[in-house]
Amino acid sequence: MKANWKFFFLAALVILVVFPFAYLLLLSMASEWRFPELWPAYFGMRNWEQVVSSETGLISSFLVSTGISFSVATMSTFIGFFISRGIAYHPYKRTITLLTYFPYILAPVVFAACLSYFFLKLGLFGKPVGVFVAQFMVAFPYALIFFSSFWGEKTKSYEELVATLGGNQLQAFRKVLLPIAKNMLIICFFQTFLISWFEYGLTSIIGVGKVQTLTIKVFLFIKESNFYYGALSCCLLILPPVLLLYINKRYVFNKLI
Amino acid sequence: MTISEPLSLKNKASNIGFIFFGLIGILPFVAAFVYALLYSFGLVGAANSGFTTEFWISTWQSGAFIKSLVYSTVVAGTSIFISVSIALWLTLKFRKELEHPILAFAMYLPLAIPGIVAAFFTFQLLAKAGFFSRIAYAFGWITEARQFPDLVNDPYAIGIIATFISIVTPFLLLLFLNVYKNERVDELAQLSQSLGANKQQTVWRVSLPVVLNKTWTLIGLYFIFLLGAYEVPLILGQESPQMLSVLIIREIKQYDLSRLSEGYVVAVIYTVIVTTAAVLLFSRKNDVKHEG
Amino acid sequence: MDFKLIILCLLFWSCGDQNKTVEKDPLLDSWEEVTKASEGTTVHFMMWQGSPVVNEYINNYVIPTLKKEHNIDLQIVSGQGPEIVQMVMGEKEAGVKNSQIDIVWINGETFFQLKKIEGLWGPFVQKLPNATYINFDDPHISIDFQQSIEGMESPWGMSQFALIYDSLEVPNPPRNLEALEQYIKAKPGTFTISNDFSGMSLLKSFLAELSGSPNGLDGPFDAEKYEVLSKKLWEYINRNKKYFWKEGVTFPKEHSKMDQMFASGELSISFGFSEGAIEEKVNRGLYPKSTRAYAWENGTVLNSNYIGIVHNAPNKAGALQVINFLISPEAQLTKADPNGMDANPVLDLQKLPEAWRKKFEELPKRKYGAELSELSKNAIQEPAPEYMIKLYDDFRTFVIEK
Repeated sequence: MKANWKFFFLAALVILVVFPFAYLLLLSMASEWRFPELWPAYFGMRNWEQVVSSETGLISSFLVSTGISFSVATMSTFIGFFISRGIAYHPYKRTITLLTYFPYILAPVVFAACLSYFFLKLGLFGKPVGVFVAQFMVAFPYALIFFSSFWGEKTKSYEELVATLGGNQLQAFRKVLLPIAKNMLIICFFQTFLISWFEYGLTSIIGVGKVQTLTIKVFLFIKESNFYYGALSCCLLILPPVLLLYINKRYVFNKLI
Repeated sequence: MTISEPLSLKNKASNIGFIFFGLIGILPFVAAFVYALLYSFGLVGAANSGFTTEFWISTWQSGAFIKSLVYSTVVAGTSIFISVSIALWLTLKFRKELEHPILAFAMYLPLAIPGIVAAFFTFQLLAKAGFFSRIAYAFGWITEARQFPDLVNDPYAIGIIATFISIVTPFLLLLFLNVYKNERVDELAQLSQSLGANKQQTVWRVSLPVVLNKTWTLIGLYFIFLLGAYEVPLILGQESPQMLSVLIIREIKQYDLSRLSEGYVVAVIYTVIVTTAAVLLFSRKNDVKHEG
Repeated sequence: MDFKLIILCLLFWSCGDQNKTVEKDPLLDSWEEVTKASEGTTVHFMMWQGSPVVNEYINNYVIPTLKKEHNIDLQIVSGQGPEIVQMVMGEKEAGVKNSQIDIVWINGETFFQLKKIEGLWGPFVQKLPNATYINFDDPHISIDFQQSIEGMESPWGMSQFALIYDSLEVPNPPRNLEALEQYIKAKPGTFTISNDFSGMSLLKSFLAELSGSPNGLDGPFDAEKYEVLSKKLWEYINRNKKYFWKEGVTFPKEHSKMDQMFASGELSISFGFSEGAIEEKVNRGLYPKSTRAYAWENGTVLNSNYIGIVHNAPNKAGALQVINFLISPEAQLTKADPNGMDANPVLDLQKLPEAWRKKFEELPKRKYGAELSELSKNAIQEPAPEYMIKLYDDFRTFVIEK
């Protein structure tokens, strides 16, 4: 009896989890779905076909998003990895780590609003590279914090071992540290990718609507009450993370935030 | 213990590292804060004409900021409290069952949904012409859209809180399950029971404290994130009171150019609150551990 | 050394954008020069993107046609009113020589603010070949929110604000404040005011009614008059807002949301520019066929909307070419199609060549929406921009936050 209750509860939980995905997919294929109809008047591939053919710009948004997120993830993972070492071995490690949290905990949209003057001044406003720099400023501290637990007595002794054996710093990284860190690097890459992929506030301000990533598109469609295209862009937005989940769950579970 | 320095290059490399860290990690934050501070006192900005405290006074007097702060705190706090409760309950009740492959995968799925999509989805579901309203209509519970209860853009922030919960709970659940396993809470619980504690006592005195003690920094961090959340309250909130980020952006982007500074006043106060909270949260010994 | 290098890199990076030489003023050139200089360039157009029909017109007609006929890439940047002003002001503060945008879609209150910060380039309108088809003697064209346009912005469309209702559900919609009060008391929860440009335009109509005449708000901004009238207005709204949508506890942020709620039957009265903008929505089946539009008894605002060139537009020649195209008979005809954007042309049919005039006259009539010519009997001029800016602030302070 008790086991039964648990079973139904968990089944309901699974349905609850899957429901949003199914509903968004359904909505993205719907059209002319007026209240109080339970089923849309049109259901089919029309919206998806239009994405490919017409001027909605969703394909280019998908590419822009991919490009920016890929760059942000690559740069912040690698630079974060090397610089986190310096911080981890630094006598003021704790203070510096605290400082890294600051840009990370501030609402990105507020951060961006207060920074936009400088981005304008630097000519980075409204450009993909500007959005990249802005997102990097959030993803990079994340990577620093992420790798801070990697460096410790163990890595230190490895490095010393390499030095004793006559190897240089470069060899220590290439032959020893990077291979040990491989898994963490991959996870950090995907998580910073997702930070960038899901980012809206910063992008909307630094990109001024010119850099139209997918999140920006979702908002534009919500604004014009075009829910079908909105749902469609939502689908494009959640597709990569679902794929990543399928490959490895740990790529998406972000234990830091 | 000092680090051995086999190469002179090393010092240089680490210096570049620190400069880079300063340029990207610290300088922007300081610059943003100083800019907002100057703007709030009328020292920068094309529509401003020199030092004045009038914006600080008017922000204080209008009451919109205090309302927004209280509102944001209550909304974020309620969401966190409910999420923690649900996640803890699920952990304690179902941790064995959740190891089943299907469930284990399903638990991760919500992590693929960002705030903006969650908010959009909540709106589609709970709005007066939304999915639930249609179901209610089909069952004859309502005959018009307007009879459906207010669940989004509503005065009690039901839509916002529901969305926050749906975002935070899956994360917390995974976190708690992780801690449960890593800290061997099961063994501890067995030990306490063999020492004569009953089930109730074991849960309240052993399992919960261990799990919460290991995770409270992250829970606190999540509270700070929700406090500054933007997309969700932007889509699901009402026009007044608004959550802090929405309020700040609205004031910074308003029509009346002579009052932009009021937005920066709120931004400055918000930044101070959040950084203070972070200092309090992390200055305790509790380092955020990460098991790669 | 390393440090210096980084600083150098940064400087180099930051200056890259500003070192481009500002091209010479195409105003001094002949139109052929403008055409030549604009070919193969990109023009950035910051505009409000909240309406599917407008987006459809821009994306599927204007952009491809400009590309084909003038080899210009038109890029749309989303933004309106305050966003435009902030953008231009921010660039001014930072000393940016080449703006992110070239042209902007604006109306009176944005025009007013942009003029205040000297954010517009011009005068340019007389330079446009197609400007000869526009009747600048029409005060609804040459006067924008009580300000003379002085060639600093080109008219693009003209429309009247209208209220809309379902004639089956509401046979006799309210046409003045007294009737509105009775109406919402009888049908609570079915009316609201969006906290945006459209909502403020409705408030202007209310304010004009309270002034006692359709011309009550004409002329420069009168602070004293505003104080007296707005006080009455807030008193009126606060007295009745418990009968508003959601008991007046909150108001919709965007007008598109009101459209949605009108479609689902949550609201029984809505409103909007372009004489209510109902034609396309009825055709799409979003609104019932019984939807009708009407003007307030004391009048609703009739205004033009404009396109301006920002003072630091990097591509002024392209900007001129695009604006000239937008006011061409061809583009205005497509824009006027009731099955498309359904916007009244700003061109004076009497000034058009015979062939074009015919085409305009042969356009199908609206099936559901009112024609501007009928509605404009109950039209008022746009009051001075300060009214709008004040209304925005005070609606929030005295109604929303109360």
